[in-house]
Parts: sequence; C-alpha cells; structure tokens
Amino acid sequence: MSPRNDIASSSCGCPEYTSLALSRRALLGSAVLAGGVVALGDAQRGYAVTTASSTRSRLSSTGSVLVVLSLRGAADGLSLVVPHGDPVYYAARPRIAIPHTSLLVPDAMFGLHPALAPLVPLWDSGRLAAVHATGMPTPNRSHFAAMEAIEDAAPGSDERNGWLNRLLGQLPGTSPLQGTALGNQVPTSLFGSQPAFVVGEVDNADVAGADSDGRRVAALRHAWGGSARLGRAVRDALAGADGFAPVRAVPAGAPTPTPYPDSELGQAMSEVSRIVRANVGVDVVTVDQGDWDMHTDLGTVEWGGMRRNAEDLAASVAAFFSDLGAFGDRVTLVTISEFGRRVRENDDYGTDHGHGNVMLVAGAGVRGGRYYGSWPGLADTLDADLPVTTDYRSVLSEVVTRRFGVSTAQVFPGFAPAPVGVMA
Amino acid sequence: MGKEREQQLLPGRDRHLATRFSYGLTPELARDVRRAGGAEAWFEKQITKPHKVADGAAERLRGWWPDLDRSPADLWQRQVQEVRGGWEVMADYGRWLLVRRMTTRRQVHEKMTEFWEALLHVPVSGDGQFTWRADYGDTIRKHALGRFDELLQATTTHPAMLIFLSGATSTKRAPNENLGRELLEIHTLGAGRYTEDDVKASARILTGWRVDLWKTWQLSYEPEDHWTGHVRVRDFSHANSSADGREVTRDYLHHLAHHPLTARRICERLATKFVRDDPPEALVRRLARTYLKNDTAIVPVLRELVASKEFKASAGRKLRDPSEDVVATYRALGIDVRRPASSASAANAVLWQAEAIGLSPHAWPRPDGSPVDDATWISPARMLASFEVHWSLAGGWWPDDDVRYRKPTRWVPPGKGVRFRDLVDDLSRELLHKPASKRLLETATRATGCRGKERITRDHELAEWKFPRLLAAILDSPDHYSC
Repeated sequence: MSPRNDIASSSCGCPEYTSLALSRRALLGSAVLAGGVVALGDAQRGYAVTTASSTRSRLSSTGSVLVVLSLRGAADGLSLVVPHGDPVYYAARPRIAIPHTSLLVPDAMFGLHPALAPLVPLWDSGRLAAVHATGMPTPNRSHFAAMEAIEDAAPGSDERNGWLNRLLGQLPGTSPLQGTALGNQVPTSLFGSQPAFVVGEVDNADVAGADSDGRRVAALRHAWGGSARLGRAVRDALAGADGFAPVRAVPAGAPTPTPYPDSELGQAMSEVSRIVRANVGVDVVTVDQGDWDMHTDLGTVEWGGMRRNAEDLAASVAAFFSDLGAFGDRVTLVTISEFGRRVRENDDYGTDHGHGNVMLVAGAGVRGGRYYGSWPGLADTLDADLPVTTDYRSVLSEVVTRRFGVSTAQVFPGFAPAPVGVMA
Repeated sequence: MGKEREQQLLPGRDRHLATRFSYGLTPELARDVRRAGGAEAWFEKQITKPHKVADGAAERLRGWWPDLDRSPADLWQRQVQEVRGGWEVMADYGRWLLVRRMTTRRQVHEKMTEFWEALLHVPVSGDGQFTWRADYGDTIRKHALGRFDELLQATTTHPAMLIFLSGATSTKRAPNENLGRELLEIHTLGAGRYTEDDVKASARILTGWRVDLWKTWQLSYEPEDHWTGHVRVRDFSHANSSADGREVTRDYLHHLAHHPLTARRICERLATKFVRDDPPEALVRRLARTYLKNDTAIVPVLRELVASKEFKASAGRKLRDPSEDVVATYRALGIDVRRPASSASAANAVLWQAEAIGLSPHAWPRPDGSPVDDATWISPARMLASFEVHWSLAGGWWPDDDVRYRKPTRWVPPGKGVRFRDLVDDLSRELLHKPASKRLLETATRATGCRGKERITRDHELAEWKFPRLLAAILDSPDHYSC
C-alpha cells in the first residue's frame, strides 16, 4: 500500500474511518484525565495522543492536513500552466507568452512555466496536478470583494463564516490550533465561530514574560475574562501559545537538494512544516504569497514578476514536501487565487483583471502528473477572459471529502459539486 | 491626595475625545486640553488652526532622517550605486511617522493625515514609488484638514500614485486599467458601483500622465499618449476631444469627489475609524450630507462626527491598531526617544515593534490601504505580539539605545513608600488616564503577588526588580488596547 493512498482510501466515508475518528475523539478525554501517552496507532501517521501536560492535546483530529496557499493579487494562470495547444494564447500575447519549447512536462494542450522546475519531481512522482479554467461562477474583478467571496464561499449568506471555519466545525478534535493561519490576521476563510490561531513566526507564539510561577498568565486571564471579542482572542492566544510549545521545540528543517528559498513564502512554508511535524492537532493551515497583481512587468520567460514569483512558489512548495518527509503522506496543498487575468496582454508587459484561473493540488491523495479541467478555448478580444468551466468549490469539495471524510453540504452550502477526478 | 488626583484627570467626555483623536492621552496632552478650556475647544483649535499650535519638537524630527528630503533622482542613484536601498529610506519614513505621532502636539492633524494616507494608499514597499513616497505623504499632510476634491486631485496625479497603480506608463494604445479601477473602487465610489465599461473609460481618461521611470523620475503630461474621444463613467460624460487631457482628468476627479457615493464611502470609513465597526447608517448618512453641502470640506464633517451621540456612545470601545498600540505605549510610559545613532536606536527599532504587532505605517501590501476596522486586528497573533512589545518596553529591555525609560522611583516615593493599591491607582491614572478599577487592582495583585495594603518601598522586590510585571499588567489590560 503506498503511503499516499492509505488514508485516502480509508477516508471515503467508510464506517471504519468514521469509527476511528470518533474513538480518537472519545479517547482524548480519558487520555487527558489519565495523563501520559496513549498510542492509538502509528505515531508517524498522527494517531498518537500524547499529553505532555495535563491540558495539552497533541491530537491530530483526522490524520490529514490541508494547506491552503493563497496567491494574493490574482495570479495569471495562463502563464503558470500554459495552454500552448490553443493558438489564441500566442496571438493574444505576442511579447509575454511562454514559448512552447521551454514548457515543462507538456501534454498536447498544457505545459508548466519553466520557473516551476523545482515542482517537476512532484509532478513526475504523481503528487502534483493542475486543474485549469477554475474559479467562481460569475466574474468579480475587485481584488477585495473577490477574495472575500471566494473565501466565504457561501454566496447569498450574510453570515461571516469562512469555508475553512465551517470545515473545522465538521471535524472531530478539540485543539485550539485546528485552524492555524500563517501571518498576522485571520483570513476570511478561517473567520467564524470556530477558534482560529494565527502565527507569524513559530518561535514568537509564546507569552512574553511568562514565568514558571504562572502569575503573568493568571493575570492576563483575569484581565480579559469579561471582554467579549478581544477576550476571546486573548484566550485563544493563551491556549494556542500553550499548545504550540511542542512546535517551538521542533527545529526548522533544511531540506536537500531543495532548500527553502530566502523569501517570505519560503520562510512561511518552513514554519508550516514545523507545525505539521510537531503533530499538535492542526487540520488546516493557511498561508499567503503576495505580489501577483501584475498589471505591468509580468515580463517574459527571461525576466519579470512572473518568473520571480513562480520560482519562489515552486521552490517553496518543493522544499516544503521534501522537508515534511513521511509527514508529506498526510498533507494536501491547494492553491487559490481570487481571479485570473485577461487573455490579451496590455501595453506594459502585463495583464488586467480577468476571471478563470488554474489551481495546483499537491501531496496526499492527489492523482498527479496530469492536467484536469475542461478547456473552453480562448478568444482574442480586449475583454476576453479565460471562462470558468470548473467551479473552484468542486475542486475543494473533492479535497475535503476525500481527505477528511466529511460531507461538503455544510462547508459549501447550497452547492452541488461536480466530479473533477483530481483526488483519489 | 484624593482630591489632587481627581483634578489631574479630564472628565469622561473629554477623555474620550482626546483619546480617540490622539495617539494616547498623556499628562501633557491633558494639560493642553485643560488650557484650551476643554476637549471640544481643544478639538476646534486642532482642526481649524493646527499651525497655531507650537510644535517645534515634532518639526525637528524630520532632520533625524535626512534621506527623506532627497530628490527622487538622487534616491534612485543612491539605490543603483548601492549607497542606500529604497527599502531603507522607506523604513526611515515609517520611523519618522511613528516618532512624530509620539511627539506632535497637532495630534488631530496627524491622525487625519494617517487616515487619508491609508485611504489613498501607496504602499511604502515597491520598486519605483519609494522615490516619491515621502513627497506623497507630505502632499496628503497639506490637505488633511482641507477639501477632499483638492486632495483627490493632488493624489491621483501624484507620481507615487501613478507609479504604484501603473498610470505612469499607461497609454492610449492599450490603457492600463489598474489606476482607473482602484480610483473608482477604493478612492471614491466603492466596489460594485460601476461597470467594466466604466473602468475602461476611467483608464482612458487618465492616459497621458507620465513619469520618467528609472531615469529622471520627473512627472510630465504627454498629449500623444492620451486617448481622445467621448468618455462616460456612470453619470460623468465628456467629449474628451483635446489631446491635452488634463482638463478632463480635473473635471472627472472633481465629479467623483462630489459624488454622493463617494461621500457615503468616505464618511463610512471615517465613522468606522472614529466610531466603530459597521457604523450606524443614520450617522453615515448625516455625515455624507454635511460633506456634500460643504463642497467636500473635511472639517465640518469631523465637527459633526464628534458631536454625534454615536461618537459619544462609543467611548473606550475602539481597538488600537498595531502602530497605534506601539505609539500609545511609548506615550503612556513617557519613554524619551533620542536622535538615532544606529539601527538599534529606539527611534529606528520602533518600526520593527509595529511590524511585529502586525503592520508598520503604510506597509499594507494591497491597494485598499491599512484597514480601519477592529475586526482585522483581533487575532491571537496580534495579542501575543502586543504582550511581547509591552513586556519589553515595560522592562526597558529593548530597544535600549538612544532612549531613556522611567525608573520605578518615579512612582515609588522614598522612605515609607506607598501602599500597593495606591501605587496601582497612580499608575492607572498616568498610563490609562482613569482610576484603577477593581478588576485592574485584582489583575495587578495576581501579576505581582502583592496585596492591596502592602507597603511598597524602594527596596521592596516590586520596586527593585518586579516592576515590569506591574507595568505590563496595566499595558496588557483592555483599557490600553482600546481608545
């Protein structure tokens, strides 16, 4: 049994999986009461409950981890995964098109941008796939409105509850770290009734000045006991800092032959890896890569923002999976961008706001080494977008149902997902 | 003692106004407010005659970071020749703002400058715009208590904005939509208030403005790049037949500034910043009416805002954002920041403290500018980072170059000393400008182990080495997070 498939095959909603999840949850309580270590399976796969202190849970609630990587600013999917088989692509982009001879792992229609080279081993080993022409059903060209809509993922609802927060509500487990965001703010996707932990750097996720006498933490708890919204953030912070102790003890990895790039994303992915490897019950992690809004100087295959960002993206993700080692068999990473860019290039070696885009799916459970989606064909007019043929929620639904074994009716209310085939 | 203490504190309403429209209510600011004859009189003077408020100490700060006054071409040459990178100059800009906010007696003007600079946002990071970024801030500063229509003219055609949102190279051949779109969405009407055809027309109107990138960085207007022909953006329409499109730009921006949707959007943001998240519709409507009736003048809108019952009801309920938290902490502790000699100097290191809590000034990476709502800044990461910054400043541990912290002896008298509960009350009055609540006293007790009646002398362990615990307990209380 390949490590990639064992959890996937047991997470299709079959009874064995369900009872396992429930029993793990039930056992958490008694483990905490008893203290010590209760092994429920192979620790490498996260089925161990370790209670380092009387309150600390190391339960990974399902064994699977989902990493959502947001490409902020609307990445140009037509440059990342190039539709070289569509002649309109070259006609509409005389200067910025990527020559088909330089594309990586091409099939008859698509090929990867050459700067994505660090991802080719993942592709070749069947752990990376691309789904093209994805997005929201109707275009929204405002970065901010689109980000909110795509992360809220419940059109027509006024409730401020992101899709990942709703997912957490469906998962077993009690860790305050179940949903963790890298950065400073709670992203829309994680916002809602379930707690969300936010951390910039793992080593800073601690209460400064907390002494062994516990006075400082006790004082903070008292000060913030009655204050509603802020009080909750403080309580989540204190619980999260406590739960993060094992993460701080895990050193940053130095994967070879693909080290983390010295970039914000590279550093963030290194921190995500520490979080996963520490096994503290994190189910969902969000992380961002910025600077994708390339109205100018997207550039060519030789220079520009696309080359720079694609290199950073590929090197960071490749280093991440290399760093994870065996833990990589539990981690699925998916990229989302708020919308795609227009087909035709503008006068400044850039592109303006469009609609359809590509999503990359990597890691556990992915049927990789292939391009998915239905190609709508491009048009070469001032207004032309890449039309959306696959709702992005269909891709996410497949990831969520296969990896976490939950129904997506609650996660994407009112949405009937179509099969994509990208997840085993 | 009790009566003397009462006189040091402003009445509740005055405390509210002077706290919300400043970077922290200090004993010095309270004195200014009292001298003006109360907070309302102080506010009126602040918004109508800021230049009459003597502010030499704040004015002198600019000289601490001389690169801020170099020309764009000079700054660029220095970057190319690797003398000093643009990001370092922009770090200076953030430092200057933070220390200025700590120092200035024109607190309302400073607050409004920040407000407009966040709305009409040009991030301090970015390859080209750093050359013009300090000048951009100075431009906004001039108009911060003036008229929005004049402010919008100045910012939209400013080289920093043109560079950031791709207007500087947009031509009639394939107009770049970036500036045309964000002008409508962020700076004026708001998202969803225009069509894609409006965006295209908006971009066409703005063609012709040019910055000589990577060379002289000079602003020019190039008629041969301007798209001519009839344009329509919602209810604005113009023949646009002249190759010199500066007039159509002017008419268009004037139209947008006076649009009821712009009035709404700006007043909603003002009310969010200075009243609360999701501000009451009735207040926003009243403010928008005042804005339009006064030809986009800002002062009458502010006057109406602070007189409103909604403003009064919001006392003490607004969360400080990361920069406000850092600046308010320096002000509360009376930390004396000196001219910086190295990157470790407090005047320079303060930037990293704001960044650690979540954001240094105008570093928000997206065109929509630093958020003014509370919700964005309520996260566990922010709370932990604030604890850290408060802790290091309470102890005076870092930064420790070119800075002077107050010693516990400031609050603990010699000889018989002071009872713990009175000490907590003294600190509460100085740091929070209010008497110590029961909860604060109990929090302080838990943090230090001292009992209320316990006598604190200068050789008590609290004064000798545990004082940071007490200061941090006060800085980490809800009253210091909010304003």
